[in-house]
Amino acid sequence: METSASSEPAANGTQVVRKSDVEVEVTRTFDAPAHLVFEAWTTAELFKRWWVPKSFGLNLLSCEMDVQVGGQYRLVFPHEGSTMEFFGTYLEVVPNTRLVWTNDEGEAGVTITTVTFEETEGKTQVVMHDLYPTKEAVNFGSTNAMPETFSQLDELLDSLR
Amino acid sequence: MTLTGMGKHIRVLEQAGLVITEKIGRVRTCKLGQRKLEEEAAWIEAYRQLWAARYDELDNVLEELKQKEYANGNVSEQ
Repeated sequence: METSASSEPAANGTQVVRKSDVEVEVTRTFDAPAHLVFEAWTTAELFKRWWVPKSFGLNLLSCEMDVQVGGQYRLVFPHEGSTMEFFGTYLEVVPNTRLVWTNDEGEAGVTITTVTFEETEGKTQVVMHDLYPTKEAVNFGSTNAMPETFSQLDELLDSLR
Repeated sequence: MTLTGMGKHIRVLEQAGLVITEKIGRVRTCKLGQRKLEEEAAWIEAYRQLWAARYDELDNVLEELKQKEYANGNVSEQ
């Protein structure tokens, strides 16, 4: 009983590795060709369906993505009676292969996200790499995190210190 | 996130040995591992859960896209 609940989340193969003090990498393989995975990452209508999982009970207020080098994106979430925004600029856009963008909302500086898509026999390995400006920004930054989830987790951790 | 969701997170952290919880009456208190390493492991586990949830949802989106492409006669420019 003890082990079943903790091993369950690992079943879908999402791996998270802290590559260094300022880098975190998430790896997962999908049963779909790279052009479809890339489409799901670069089409606002599709992106907003999975970026905010239903289980979080939260809806994106808006999601705008101008996926080209120099183009902007902006995600708006409801947060504690107000809104919270995540925004930045696409630095590299290589169709079906690679996406790089900045996360400009962080107070501690800019985090760079690099996503690579590698197709092998119809399956696609996605590696998402976050490079944070400082070690502190890794632990307390909200980049790529659900505001509700992580602000509550931060509060929880703070209250336990 | 709901209280139930939070409870689920805490149970996972507890099973991983990262937090210790104690129930007194109706109140359950949590204590975090004192060492930095444990805090980091807890953070990574929370981060992993977030991405696992996102990617489960992405699986559904991809399944739809595959069906659609198949229905359209699998016309691919790849």
